[in-house]
Amino acid sequence: MLKIEIDGKPVEVDHGTTIIDAADKLGVAIPRFCYHKKLSVAANCRMCLVEVEKFGKPLPACATPVAEGMKIFTRSKAAVQAQQSVMEFLLINHPLDCPICDQGGECDLQDVAVGYGASGSRYTEEKRVVFNKNIGPLISTDMTRCIQCTRCVRFLKEVGGMQELGMVGRGEHAEITAYVDQSVNSELSGNIIDLCPVGALTNKPFRYSARSWELVRRPSIAPHDSMGSHIEVHVKDDKVMRVLPREKESINECWLSDRDRYSYEGLNSPDRLKVPMIKHHGEWQETDWKTALEYAAGQIKDITTEHGSDALGALVSPNSTMEEGYLIKELVHGLGCGNVDYRLRQTDFRLDGKRVGTPWMGCNIDEIEKLDRILLIGSNIRNEHPLLAQRFRKAVDNGAELSIISPLDNNPLMDIAHKIIVTPNDIVNVLAQILKAMSKLQKLSLCLPPQLSELLEQIHVRPNTEAMAESLVGLGETVNLIAPKVGIFLGNMALSAPRFTEMYSLAEAIGGVSGAKGGILPAAANSTGMHLLGVMPASTGMHARAMLEVPRKAYLLLNIEPELDCQHAALARSAMEKADCVVALTAYKSKALDHATVLLPIAPFTETSGTFMSMEGRIQSFKAVVKPLGECRPAWKVLRVLANTLGLQGFDFESSEEVKLKIFDGEKPSDFARSRLNNNMKELVEIETKIKSPGLQRVGEVPQYEADPIVRRSEPLRKTKYNIKRLVRLHPDEMRAYDLVEGDMVLVTQDKGSTVLPVRPDAHVAPGCVRVAAAHEDTLGLGDLMGDISIEKITQEQADVFKSKQMEAQN
Amino acid sequence: MLSAEAIEKIEYELTKYPKDQRQAAVMSALRIVQTERGWLSQESISDVAAYLGIPDIAALEVATFYNMYDTEPVGKYKITVCTNISCMLRDSDSIVHHLQEKLGIGFNQVSEDGQFCLKEGECMGACGGAPLMSVNNATMYEYLTPEKVDKILKELK
Amino acid sequence: MFKQMKNTLGSLMLIELLKGMAVTGRYFFARKITIQYPEERTPQSNRFRGLHALRRYPNGEERCIACKLCEAVCPAMAITIESEQRDDNTRRTTRYDIDLTKCIFCGLCEESCPVDSIVETRIFDYHGEQRGDLLYTKEMLLAVGDKHEKQIAADRAQDKNYR
Repeated sequence: MLKIEIDGKPVEVDHGTTIIDAADKLGVAIPRFCYHKKLSVAANCRMCLVEVEKFGKPLPACATPVAEGMKIFTRSKAAVQAQQSVMEFLLINHPLDCPICDQGGECDLQDVAVGYGASGSRYTEEKRVVFNKNIGPLISTDMTRCIQCTRCVRFLKEVGGMQELGMVGRGEHAEITAYVDQSVNSELSGNIIDLCPVGALTNKPFRYSARSWELVRRPSIAPHDSMGSHIEVHVKDDKVMRVLPREKESINECWLSDRDRYSYEGLNSPDRLKVPMIKHHGEWQETDWKTALEYAAGQIKDITTEHGSDALGALVSPNSTMEEGYLIKELVHGLGCGNVDYRLRQTDFRLDGKRVGTPWMGCNIDEIEKLDRILLIGSNIRNEHPLLAQRFRKAVDNGAELSIISPLDNNPLMDIAHKIIVTPNDIVNVLAQILKAMSKLQKLSLCLPPQLSELLEQIHVRPNTEAMAESLVGLGETVNLIAPKVGIFLGNMALSAPRFTEMYSLAEAIGGVSGAKGGILPAAANSTGMHLLGVMPASTGMHARAMLEVPRKAYLLLNIEPELDCQHAALARSAMEKADCVVALTAYKSKALDHATVLLPIAPFTETSGTFMSMEGRIQSFKAVVKPLGECRPAWKVLRVLANTLGLQGFDFESSEEVKLKIFDGEKPSDFARSRLNNNMKELVEIETKIKSPGLQRVGEVPQYEADPIVRRSEPLRKTKYNIKRLVRLHPDEMRAYDLVEGDMVLVTQDKGSTVLPVRPDAHVAPGCVRVAAAHEDTLGLGDLMGDISIEKITQEQADVFKSKQMEAQN
Repeated sequence: MLSAEAIEKIEYELTKYPKDQRQAAVMSALRIVQTERGWLSQESISDVAAYLGIPDIAALEVATFYNMYDTEPVGKYKITVCTNISCMLRDSDSIVHHLQEKLGIGFNQVSEDGQFCLKEGECMGACGGAPLMSVNNATMYEYLTPEKVDKILKELK
Repeated sequence: MFKQMKNTLGSLMLIELLKGMAVTGRYFFARKITIQYPEERTPQSNRFRGLHALRRYPNGEERCIACKLCEAVCPAMAITIESEQRDDNTRRTTRYDIDLTKCIFCGLCEESCPVDSIVETRIFDYHGEQRGDLLYTKEMLLAVGDKHEKQIAADRAQDKNYR
């Protein structure tokens, strides 16, 4: 510890602390622009100059480590004079356009200029002008305002993983730019808006729509992935104007992914359903709540009395709150039916009943960066959990070795130590090889259950898997770690794979052998919570997949668009078509719900209160930030009244808090979660490694900006490069095998459904795989996200014929 | 694409740095490519960046920072005249004036026949020989007089 | 004793009354200052704070850039502004309402305007027949500005040395 003195106040700090950190600790304000606690030190704005005793000239506080006995003066005459001079230089070329600048009112330069700026300028020469850059649909630029602090450059390089902006030129000609008309494509790009201390980078969708002082800031929880990022929703006149991160060091630090930042545009979409609607003779008619609820309840009652309660199926979005999940479960159970499920994008349900508890991430989010070895299985991490990827990136920067087993060789923008790119089915085999290699390395083969040992006997370990296994047990090129901290995580692609059970069991075994932490990285905001509540089929009930395979007479849909949110688009579509009654609680009226009978408008996350449980088991409640739009009502209320209308007992909750109290039954929520989260399995499952699919296998990941109904409707996100046109992507070798060239039309067939799409070679797809992204109108005819698939080359004419037939069928 | 010779030269430069620090060779690589192609086009910069495995923008930053890298086309001969204090006191202005008149171009322009380009340079650290100029960043001519400049231009042509 | 006599004498001679009559008499014969409104008007300061107007530049472009400083500074919360990016990428209002029933004519809006767009004119005798008539919209305010621009500009020019 070093004893120093700042402005006469003594403070003790660690070795290596910089003056600015010490001052922050003491609460002494030093003005700064380029310094940011999460980024490297650049010391190029010079605003933080301070006077240090025995130094002849002022020193930058952000780049000067303290020394024993240092006496620092931040408000002495010399220091203030230095700061004022720097301020004058910074303002020389800064335009006086605060009145039209979106940063006005929340601008660091404005604030500091009030404290350190002169009242007039001595500069009479011409100011410099820098032309604006078009860096994409999310960020607008006014580069003349830039003060070259390079925070954006450093963020994209250090946190984003890819330097997409840079400072070109020198001296007065220096300017921040992307490389020749390229856009900034990072999925974390929105953060550079928050970082920019001036108005050079501002929020494009928000541009000129409100001033910072008009906005009411309300806290909430991000609803699009399972991280549970803290957000601050800015509201004006009951309309969500923008979303910013709320600092939470252990979850999202001070960042936010673009998906969570810009999804709010979907809340104001014209698709929003504002009044209850009933379908009469194929025509939608607006109605009032009472009629709609009575009609819905009547239909459900009629069908369940006529065909048995089993004729009802409830599909629940994993983005719904715990309260909603609990109520719909109780409602369905109350009707004597067990068909309720939230696992819409899962095909493999063999693990049901074999788990000890609720599967979760297996560690805390902020533990990731301390891991030494990481194995990611079937995860396109930047697509699935954009902000979590950043934690992994930190771990890798700290020296962790990252191994990836996936059907897609997407660049995670961090160094990969080992990767194995195989079809989803072959992942099982690779995992078995790793387990064998590891048990050999750890000399632990005897500890494995006999079933597994026998299986491993027949496995042949390949060199690349062996290398991965060596990495996981801690062997390194220069240093061997004795007890490495290992993390093993299964991503979305693994979760929706047809052989998820085997992957999970083997991953767990590998975890056991290597003493790893880890688990699954669930896709949606409340996947973990839904499992915890048991929004899953009861012993006699059907799971999500079965409910579609064996169509039910009536469906109750909570917050989903069946064709887009379910694993098997074609099945979901036909099941809805065949059903006598589909009651949809939805925030949007869309084509996907054309086959519904009753549409009940519910409030999205900004308009309702509720609770999400994140991947790390954190239970976080939030309140509504705006009033519900039109006649929309919070889903928990709708479910409650629907249950009352159905004549069910025990639904007299007055608020979502009451529902929450009921769920946790007086227990502390964190205790409740703690005692129930468990990744272990009660028994082993049969593992077959030799299954080879005869043909090709689909890799149907869900693009991040298509993940749920709200995101799907966010215009700015749709304009980004990630909103990829649906294509069939094949490994170049497969292209040759099928005699295809880029741009050819292919007929893609899965089960009975098919669609026609152009083809493109993509070396990042595993051989034997066909990459067709899901959750899009063009792929509605297709089936399982990771199922078998066949392709056939067709001519353009045939494609046209197919498309016109499809159009006819739709009309 | 980089030529085989360029790659060979860059590889040699790379041997001077640790294996995982390929970006360290960016300055040499840009110089090698500029010597080969005359100037650094966006394409050349991208080629260098791709070869070294660094982001394009990182290579562009370097290429635009130093004024001996030319990101605009230059003629066959790039004449850089020093106009800093020592040369100025030794009347570099008249040399500049003479060159501009003779070549019919101003600073940062290329003569019509594509032979010459005139640049304003900073101190080259040889003030003893002021006024001076360099041709193609490689050859330096000292103690300039208008007559001497004429002679040099004649030789270059 | 002496004082009492003096008072009595004074009252008897009606001095107070005569003094009062003298004042009346002076004003009776003085020049009249009554203004025959509305035919006649009192002179106004160029800083008079009356009805608001939104000004335009000589090329016809509206001055207001929707910075919302007037909205923020208004102590009576009489101003409501909504803004967006116009097609030519400039920042413009889509709505600029002043509720004149709330306005206290303090002049802070004019003071805060960085582009001299919102101004208070010399007009004080506007009226409305219904309550809603006094809610002035952007179009109405621009119309006032267009009609009186000459006077507005002259008033500002007269005051420019003190601003």
